[in-house]
Amino acid sequence: MRASVAAEKAGIPSVSLVCSGFERQALATGRGLGIDNLPLAVLNGHVDSVTSEEMISRFLAQTVPEILRGLTVESLESDAQHGEPSALDIVGCGSIDHINDLFARKGWSDGSPIVPPTKDRVDDFIAESGNDPWRVIGQARPSSRDMTVWSVAVNAVMAGVRAEHFPVLLAIAEVLADPTYGVEHSGNTTGADALIVVSGPSTAELGFNSGAGALRDGTPANTTIGRWLRLYQRNVCGFTISEHDKATFGNSARVVLAEDHETLREIRDHGWFPLSADFGFDANDDTVTIVRVNGGTIVGSVFGSTAEQIIAYLADGLARLSGWELTHNYGLGSGQFQPLLVVSPLLARTFVRSGWSKDDVRSALFEQARIPAWRYESYIGIWSNLTTGQPTLTELAAAGHVPEAFAVSTDPNRLVPIVFEPSKFRIAVAGDPNRANAYVMSNDGPHGMWTSKRIDRSRSDDLVCRVE
Amino acid sequence: MNLNVDSSQGNSAASREPQFEVVWPSSPRGVQSNPKAPRLDRLEGKRIGFMWDYLFRGEELFPVLKRELERSGAEVVGYEAFGNLHGPNEAQLVGEIASVIAARGIDAVVSGNGC
Repeated sequence: MRASVAAEKAGIPSVSLVCSGFERQALATGRGLGIDNLPLAVLNGHVDSVTSEEMISRFLAQTVPEILRGLTVESLESDAQHGEPSALDIVGCGSIDHINDLFARKGWSDGSPIVPPTKDRVDDFIAESGNDPWRVIGQARPSSRDMTVWSVAVNAVMAGVRAEHFPVLLAIAEVLADPTYGVEHSGNTTGADALIVVSGPSTAELGFNSGAGALRDGTPANTTIGRWLRLYQRNVCGFTISEHDKATFGNSARVVLAEDHETLREIRDHGWFPLSADFGFDANDDTVTIVRVNGGTIVGSVFGSTAEQIIAYLADGLARLSGWELTHNYGLGSGQFQPLLVVSPLLARTFVRSGWSKDDVRSALFEQARIPAWRYESYIGIWSNLTTGQPTLTELAAAGHVPEAFAVSTDPNRLVPIVFEPSKFRIAVAGDPNRANAYVMSNDGPHGMWTSKRIDRSRSDDLVCRVE
Repeated sequence: MNLNVDSSQGNSAASREPQFEVVWPSSPRGVQSNPKAPRLDRLEGKRIGFMWDYLFRGEELFPVLKRELERSGAEVVGYEAFGNLHGPNEAQLVGEIASVIAARGIDAVVSGNGC
């Protein structure tokens, strides 16, 4: 739709081809980009589930006439939405039960009870920070709604976030506004969900749990901020099932993962830095790092007292995790499969005792986290049809699309890496400090790419103005 | 301004509980709505560009569409002119669409596939 909108804005008529079920999302995307009622032509059913003969027959009978009509016939109707409230309008009043019913009915809540966002509560939430409520942090994609400080605070009140965490939310909003992250892809059909990682010296002071149960709900900072992101994506970015969210399954909101800053501080001299150091930040910076992940799995009961003993099992965990997501190396992305390995502090210290830095771990993972070439080629081509012509890795290497490490021979059983280079492995340290477990997660490539921002806890220099 | 205020009244226990007036959790759109481009008066003699995300069997569908458009007297510019409009180069290539259209003298486009 972004391409069609670019053409329409250049004065050239367009018709967009979409499979059945994508019409509402397509129109909403066009509307968000400033073109109402973009002409569509619908591919009946899903093209991946029919024979060529069936697909072409349906295309000729139904889709081609719609294309010809869309190119030549003016459409007068509009799908524009009118009469939306403004930021300070009262949209409901009543008991807490009534407010919750209203928000659920309107699609403004995640289904769990929300704290009623009264004007006074939102005003108080912002006032402590000194921020101008009407400062625009960026434009939410794909809705093109303004990401105002006010809207961040309204959803924070709803999620039960404490005012002291407002700087964390503002840093997350900056990530959403950064094109590198690609928030507009957050409604893709495979349904990954954002993981927020906080790092830095203020982690403990802000009340984040980085220890036992690090990804379990129960700690307000971790839980409410994760919930806020889902609410914000729903209410401001537009990711509802009726608009931009096309997740086939999806997940519930993820609890924030906080890195164990104390352990990292102790092992820093051994080459172990926070995750955000991968993106240019200093070990003493407070940061949020966000990535969309499809899922994860535990690497449990890691046995061994040396790096050499434990690395193979961790590499196996990453290799087991790598399937369809490999299309983010080639197909849907380019070198953008960058999975996450979360090691417990105990495992990190085992590496340190063996003299291994984080980069040493990455290099070893690059050599050991490998899968057979035939399997790799099946994921990106034969099984998913996401590489046109279904080329082999050898052909892709010859064309310069993947590194030479993927084409050391033509043996389909040779082992090939799962990432383009060692630095593509992301490693965090968190969890119960005395357990020998790890967790691996697969990222969704350009559909929510690793992006870090600094958390600024200083009082804002914005014009301080309480909303009257 | 109170717009479509949804309120609860009645004698239930809930009505004796604290009452809340709540604000909208969304935010105004930051873009102006633009008019669509005028449609073509005919296909004959027009140059139609294809734009593709290199997904969902476009390599099978676009040749069929090319044949049908040429049957109507139109000329087709293949999707190679625009490149792969999905993935790592998407933003750059979408930003170049207007210039490709101008350079190729394209009168209309068909874009796919959203599945």
